[in-house]
Amino acid sequence: MAETKNMILNMGPQHPSTHGVLRLILELDGETVVKLTPDIGYLHRGVEKLGENLTYHQFIPLTDREDYLASLSNNLAYCMTVEKLLDIEVPPRAMVARVLLTELQRIASHLIWLGTFGLDIGAMSLFFYCMRERELLLDIFEACAGSRLTINYFRIGGIAKDLPEGFEKQVRDFIAVFPERMKNDYERIFQDNKIVRIRTEGVGIISKKDAVDLGLSGPLLRACGVPWDIRKSNPYCGYETYDFDIATGKVGDVFDRYMVRMEEMRQSLKIVRQALDRLPGGAFLADDPKVCLPAKQKVMTEMEALIHHFKIVSEGFEPPAGEVYHSIETPRGELGFYIVSDGSNKPYRLRFRPPSFVNLESLAKMAEGKLIGDLIAIIGALDPVMGEVDR
Amino acid sequence: MIKALAEGLSVTLKHMFKKRNTVQYPEQRREYSPRFRGRHKLNRHEDGSEKCVGCYLCAVVCPSKCIELQAAENENGKRYAEWYEIQMGRCIFCGFCVEACPVEALDMTPFYEMSCYSREGLIYEKKDLLVPMPEKKEVGSK
Amino acid sequence: MTEFIIIMLVKMIVIFGAVMGTMTYITLAERKILGYMQIRPGPNRVGPWGLLQPIADGIKLFLKEDIIPDHASKAVFVIAPAMALIPAVMTIAVVPFGPEMTVFGRKVTAYMADVNIGLLYIFSVSSMGVYGIVLAGWASESKYSLLGGLRSSAQMISYELSMGFAVVGVLMMSQSLSMVKIIEAQKGVWFIIPQFFGFVIYIIAAIAELNRTPFDLPEGESELVSGYFTEYSSMKYAMFMLAEYINIITVSGIVTTLYLGGWHSFFIPLPPLVWFMIKLLAVVFFMIWVRATYPRFRYDQLMTFGWKVLLPASILNILFTPLFMKIFGYL
Repeated sequence: MAETKNMILNMGPQHPSTHGVLRLILELDGETVVKLTPDIGYLHRGVEKLGENLTYHQFIPLTDREDYLASLSNNLAYCMTVEKLLDIEVPPRAMVARVLLTELQRIASHLIWLGTFGLDIGAMSLFFYCMRERELLLDIFEACAGSRLTINYFRIGGIAKDLPEGFEKQVRDFIAVFPERMKNDYERIFQDNKIVRIRTEGVGIISKKDAVDLGLSGPLLRACGVPWDIRKSNPYCGYETYDFDIATGKVGDVFDRYMVRMEEMRQSLKIVRQALDRLPGGAFLADDPKVCLPAKQKVMTEMEALIHHFKIVSEGFEPPAGEVYHSIETPRGELGFYIVSDGSNKPYRLRFRPPSFVNLESLAKMAEGKLIGDLIAIIGALDPVMGEVDR
Repeated sequence: MIKALAEGLSVTLKHMFKKRNTVQYPEQRREYSPRFRGRHKLNRHEDGSEKCVGCYLCAVVCPSKCIELQAAENENGKRYAEWYEIQMGRCIFCGFCVEACPVEALDMTPFYEMSCYSREGLIYEKKDLLVPMPEKKEVGSK
Repeated sequence: MTEFIIIMLVKMIVIFGAVMGTMTYITLAERKILGYMQIRPGPNRVGPWGLLQPIADGIKLFLKEDIIPDHASKAVFVIAPAMALIPAVMTIAVVPFGPEMTVFGRKVTAYMADVNIGLLYIFSVSSMGVYGIVLAGWASESKYSLLGGLRSSAQMISYELSMGFAVVGVLMMSQSLSMVKIIEAQKGVWFIIPQFFGFVIYIIAAIAELNRTPFDLPEGESELVSGYFTEYSSMKYAMFMLAEYINIITVSGIVTTLYLGGWHSFFIPLPPLVWFMIKLLAVVFFMIWVRATYPRFRYDQLMTFGWKVLLPASILNILFTPLFMKIFGYL
């Protein structure tokens, strides 16, 4: 009597639809996934250890490269954690600019998610339409900071340079174009399509209790019906003064995650409009002479500013000893930084709590017992970025 | 349901007749903003002398330790950089060196086509980075 | 007798050459049209508008290294592409490209042969194409190929049934299996009007037979890398591609013959051969358009659709055909 064994398939690190270098070891019984084991670590670069040898200021570009699709969010989380450790007040212009740019970054990240999600399911054209809108956003980032992907614009105490000329016009042009594109291009080709519906509805359901037990955050948690958004529950950067809603789903399947992210894009646009209307003038960097670089003009003319500049650039600043944790809501969930300082100019321990790492643990629960086609849709809706899973 | 399917088809057909926003590189190039973080350059004063004073701040602040230089004093007693080297292969183009320079000697240009056939070719020395003498009006290029 | 043989040989070369030429340029057309629908230009570097791209692709595939995996069953591995290509090319023989024409003073028909069981011949020969896929998937000794081969063979067999049943309606109306007679029976009204549901069913089943989106699970790029031809390279891969695109042309030709009136003109008087080609290319454009728009079905949904929706619909179509025939005056 021949015995049947389950087939072990390796959805390897290089695969057209595991987002990045994720290796999944699948045990298959025909088309059904019996057991799923993720294997990560292919993009590990030792960022947390590197942080122990760099000053607080030097670490900012490394945060860009962790969740490389939403780098301003990483910058924001790190800068706010260090500001919490140092107890620095950020000026109002910088706060509004930070909110504005972070929300634009959220839209850019969700656009990539939408494009690749459509590509995984098979709707190729959606990807290109999303990229066309994302180009407008990347142009805005490039005008501000000089780079499109690893933006490195926020500093401890505010933003690096003032917002450029023509910034308001660029953002207003984007706001004018985007809602109509969302309705005409993305929804008409994707949302009402019967094939998309049967591919995504009822797939990858996770219950409310399981979601909270596993520690999920971000759109995955909100799609299950839990209205938890750090921007509302522990507001930071002045989010309590903006008027926006939390997008929640009902069932917790892939279609709900899609709807939650689309609604998040609309709410982000709402916040951007409000932020742009209330952008105040004034300083863009806090005035603390020990932490924030003085203006170039002052450095070239005043002696005191020159001395502070030299000290900050070469040695950095020494925060008080202690530990601090701060988290923000990135497009993928709760991103937290935990810094232990021993009083010197380099952190003693710098820990980065990536949302995708915690979300990825729920993959086994969502996909076991389902078909391979479902697995692809589930990974697509999970939106992992391996840069932050592996750090 | 049929309506949704037909709408999807109409969206793709509509896009067939729209303007394509592909940039035909290398015949066309994109315009970058003046703040674009590309290749570095070392500036000069109006009279042609180098602005760099060899203060080592750029080397100290670089997160990937890709700048090396040696300061010296010239015959007038003024400090300058005897040799200055940036390893473009290690550089992460973060712009911290530009922010750190107290005399605005270091700048970043919108030039980004720096590929090379050898690793040594990516080590840019002072002669590659210095802006030409003020008579000529072009930005320093390799 | 000799004249007959010479005419047949010339026709063979001309038709085969024309189909091969059209097929290579349909690969380019697909890439360009997909590109335009995705707001990008498609291939435009090799020659103006990318016109030399298929030639460049052919040369590239020809010159690539031929790899046979170590564990593969060699004989089966090598035969499989041929088993996919030969049925595809055999069906070209009965596709009626045009009526009897006068060329150089001789009356020649623009098709290879008018077999009086033409439709049956087409279905039986194209069913053999499944063997190529199954053998390719099995012989590659790779789990991805195996999955792709299994899925594809199950899919093709299921949708062949609906295709066959959908065509029975046309058969009843034209009272003949010969392709040329079916076209001649559409002199008044094209069969798409009385047999509209049959047309829809046939087009859907045909897209599934061709393994194109939204039924392209066997070669679902985002799922199984490349499905059953993951392990193939160079000419064997080229043969699979050839088989797929020749199938596209043949299937479009069949749709044109059965439902769109073959070479009958539509208001504008043009040579019948030209009309046939226009209709064929319109069907090909429709298939490319569908590929650009719709996502792909999951495997079990595909099978459910084929067996539980399409097959009953095609049987219902057969039941209702006499009613349509009465309405349109065929009975």
